[in-house]
Amino acid sequence: MSIMTDVSPSAARRRSVPRFVWVIAAIVALYLVAGVITPSFATFDNMLVIVRAASITGIVAIGMSYVTISGNLFALSAAALGAFLAVIFALAVGHLGFAAGLAATLLVAILAGMAQGLSISVVGNPIITTLAFSTVFRGLAALFSGNSIVRIDSDIALALGTGRPLGVPTQSWAFIALALVSWALIRRARLGRLLVLSGANPQTAIASGLNVRLATVVAFVALSVGVAIMAVFTVSQFSQAKADLFAGYDFDYIAAVLVGGIALRGGQGSPLQAALGAILIALLQNFMLLNGFTAGLRMTVVGGLVLLATGAFHLLQRRLR
Amino acid sequence: MKVSSRSADLLGRLGLMLIVYLVFALHLPSYYSPAGVAALLDSAVLSGLVALGVALTMIAGEMDLSVGSLAALAGILAVKLFPIGVFPSIIVVVLVCAAIGALQGWLIHRIGINSMIFTVGTLIAFRGIALLVSGEKTQLVPLEDIAATDILIGKFGIFSVLSLALFAAAALIFAFTRWTLWGREIFAIGGGRSESRAAGVPIRRPIMIAFALSAALAGLAGALLSLKAGSASPLSYDSLLLEAVAACLIGGISLKGGKGSIVGVLIGLFCIRFLVTGIAALGAPFWAQSLATGLLLIIVIVAEAIFAAAAGRFRLAMRRPAPIIKVPA
Amino acid sequence: MLRMTNISKRYGATEVLREVALEVRSGEVMALMGENGAGKSTLVKILAGIEPADAGTIEIAGEPVTIRSPRHSQAAGVAYVAQELSIVESLSVAENVFLGDTDAGLFRSPRSLSTKARPFLLKVGLEQVDPLELAENLSVAERQLVEIARLLSRKARIAILDEPTAALSDAEILRVKGAVRTLADNGCAVIYVTHRMAEVFELSTRVTVLRNGRSFPSIETASLTVDTLIEHMLGRKLEQMFPARATRMGESVVELDQCIGHGLLAPISLSVRRGEILALAGQVGSGANAVLRMLAGVLPVASGTMKLRGAAFAPHSIADSIAAKVAYCSDDRKRDGIFAVRSVPENLSAPALDRVSRLQMISPVMESRHTRGIAELFGIDLAYLTRLAGNLSGGNQQKVALGKWLGIEPDVLLVEEPTRGVDVGARAEIYRHLRSLAERGLTVIFASSDTQEVLGLADQIATFYHGRMVRVVSAESSTPESIVRDVIHPTLAA
Repeated sequence: MSIMTDVSPSAARRRSVPRFVWVIAAIVALYLVAGVITPSFATFDNMLVIVRAASITGIVAIGMSYVTISGNLFALSAAALGAFLAVIFALAVGHLGFAAGLAATLLVAILAGMAQGLSISVVGNPIITTLAFSTVFRGLAALFSGNSIVRIDSDIALALGTGRPLGVPTQSWAFIALALVSWALIRRARLGRLLVLSGANPQTAIASGLNVRLATVVAFVALSVGVAIMAVFTVSQFSQAKADLFAGYDFDYIAAVLVGGIALRGGQGSPLQAALGAILIALLQNFMLLNGFTAGLRMTVVGGLVLLATGAFHLLQRRLR
Repeated sequence: MKVSSRSADLLGRLGLMLIVYLVFALHLPSYYSPAGVAALLDSAVLSGLVALGVALTMIAGEMDLSVGSLAALAGILAVKLFPIGVFPSIIVVVLVCAAIGALQGWLIHRIGINSMIFTVGTLIAFRGIALLVSGEKTQLVPLEDIAATDILIGKFGIFSVLSLALFAAAALIFAFTRWTLWGREIFAIGGGRSESRAAGVPIRRPIMIAFALSAALAGLAGALLSLKAGSASPLSYDSLLLEAVAACLIGGISLKGGKGSIVGVLIGLFCIRFLVTGIAALGAPFWAQSLATGLLLIIVIVAEAIFAAAAGRFRLAMRRPAPIIKVPA
Repeated sequence: MLRMTNISKRYGATEVLREVALEVRSGEVMALMGENGAGKSTLVKILAGIEPADAGTIEIAGEPVTIRSPRHSQAAGVAYVAQELSIVESLSVAENVFLGDTDAGLFRSPRSLSTKARPFLLKVGLEQVDPLELAENLSVAERQLVEIARLLSRKARIAILDEPTAALSDAEILRVKGAVRTLADNGCAVIYVTHRMAEVFELSTRVTVLRNGRSFPSIETASLTVDTLIEHMLGRKLEQMFPARATRMGESVVELDQCIGHGLLAPISLSVRRGEILALAGQVGSGANAVLRMLAGVLPVASGTMKLRGAAFAPHSIADSIAAKVAYCSDDRKRDGIFAVRSVPENLSAPALDRVSRLQMISPVMESRHTRGIAELFGIDLAYLTRLAGNLSGGNQQKVALGKWLGIEPDVLLVEEPTRGVDVGARAEIYRHLRSLAERGLTVIFASSDTQEVLGLADQIATFYHGRMVRVVSAESSTPESIVRDVIHPTLAA
């Protein structure tokens, strides 16, 4: 049920094709087309690159799906928060060691999520609020790092960032684990149900005695934890952090959620869809890079894809209503 | 009565602006020297013009997030069009942007989509187009012709051509929103979309006008600033949106639409400019400026939301039932 | 002037209007009457361009017209005062008077608009209101009068007033009546939708009655009496859809002592016993809903005390009242009654997540048991359990909206309009289930503007008129006529 998103009576009878099937089809099609057109695409090394990139984007996109499902559209602060948390992690590892650094990063992430969630539940406009928070996070990242590169020298971190247990990068293990845990949380946990119901209809949720404010806070904490995981992996992989990390990545996260077909009106969809969307976006970005697309063209394509996906899913939903 | 309470609201915001001004003026002579004031005014032109447009879309109950990218695109186009002359180039760019904005408004109304979501898409698409059009290179006005752009750096006392353009645009928008049917319709659909529709207001027109003006003003800002500088980078103006939105919100434009005034936008604008310029003049690095803007914005919107909720509860509690009259029997 | 023929309209499975005809002449006031749900509002909304008709033709001054939007309707010379207000709060009074009026010119200053608005405000008795004042500072009654001023300012050939007096006091109603007479005297065709008998007899020349979505030929008002008109409205309902009344009732569960809240003009005192079904009968704006909302914690109690099971009860939020085992179901199912995009079981377990989860995880076994339990108690077809709530018919949606509360095993169920937008078959079922729940000790208080429902379902009936409780009577000693009189014309009821 968590993936079925149609609302028309006819769809309920005919069982129309769920959105995630389309996304999988698009992924397979893009993979085949790219493999044929670009020989360097289907090589082992490139696959590794794609899998890592998809995992990193996907971890945040899964976090973002909590926000969207809880009826709060999306956040524009994920990339800036990532930079801030990366700096915190690098500094904390340098001074306190790996484990304490990890704990400190998670703690800061949870606090950042709560601050955003509480503000949004008061203000009621997630986009503007997270836009403001993004500059604050970016500023804090510069403040803490002294606006220079913070290097770390930790073997554990390096192993975490570059290891490949069973031939699969650690990032991807984390991605898969997070996708499954999130799927189970949204589908089975009481808290997940609270998120889904609050997103589906906040008024009915309040009238049913549910704590919609809590749902918003939980969603943003989930996103922040996802961002923290990404930041930790990235810092570990490259052994450094700086304040302008992840700049411009916000749109990839949002695009992943939208292309995955999670309805922006909230209360529908599953984190797995965001994960699939992230894979699709990573494939597309990699394909465009290999073919020497300029940054402008890549950006235009992703922007166009976002517009197309929102417009199309929106119209689809409206027609079915 | 509420009219006066609205003036009181504006006065409060004006007070906030003056406090910010005074705090820095105590430490910085440039805050009252003519040259310093002129520089302050000039620094407000870019975000000021954009804020006027964003304010219109916010008053209409929508939001145009694409302005920063559009301003960058406009800058590129203006520099590319420079051979046809400074003013023709500006006029063409503004018209093109207005058409783009009108199209955005038309699509938003037609699809019935949340404009914030739609313009997040165009925010990145316009940036991409700016990169494409410029070939990812900073566009320069040819050095031998740079003298032609001197007209944009003319000065009249503390006012420059650019700051005069800002105030002229503000005055025009003020008059438009206050004294014309089309302007009032923007307020009407923002204050009550379904009520306005039931009363026969054509919803599409004010939406298209608000987005067209927003885009035109962003285009004007991008074109003016780029031509004045003689160069335009496709990656510029990415922090413009935040400052414009902050100016609107600090100036009392309601996030829910229908409320706010152009005077308030100017107050909010200078509130931020005084703060940011002051921090910069005191030697803080550039990132501290955006940190301050972001913090100020969060504090203002959260405080206002809490205040509004408290006021609503108070009003409901104070709503006395009518005097008790006996049922006619 | 106006001729509407064969107008039909359905919302999903419910047929709201069936081949309805309405014909109004210039200079006359046509009263449109009927019980709630008879289709009056839908009919005038079609004429005003707010709702599209499924079938039928509209002729104005002999010309067939197509009306697809409020603008078409205005262009055809129709002006409309809605039951739900169409005043934009953030604009001034004068701007609201001329809202949507394009004839006033592109350029307008606050002053000139205010000068132009003043005569119209004068006509509706708002001379004390500053036209530059913001509409948000006006009372509901004043806003309603501003709408009528707007109607006067339009050079309308046809004017529709949909329950314009529901929220007004007697003195304000006098002004509305005066404005309506002026309109008719100026040759306008006026359609006047109301529930108040007195206004019908004072104002209208003819009456058209709608009943169950069908229209009947219009009748000269002069040939009618209050009794004959009530008879026309009620018709003869043959279906036996109501269950037997309570056989035994327990101790008093809910008590209100001199309670006043927003929407009430006089204090209310009531007492409801365990297993009793109490109806609060009244039209829109009568104050019946206010009583429920105070009990549900939605509306603050301005003065007076409430008691639940003998102890003081002062809920500040819905969560408070739920914790006290008081459940509340509003009259707007779409807005806050169901989660349209979620499945039926998820809807049913929403207020009772504690009861279907263990260690913070939802247990599918417990949820399915929970859902089936409610489905059985409330007659929800098990086949629907896999569907999304939004895909169900109105009747089944209502069963879900009501049934979900059984999960918290409430002592008191508060319901506004228990069968709004519900077809006849499902109605009878809902009544039967509510009664059988009452038999098991549940106290039900419902507000309704449907006389049959009030009489058939309730044990006791409290009638409301105009923000005041008229009286409490037992259902057995009441007739449809006596209830209708109480809620639309209490002067004659004394």
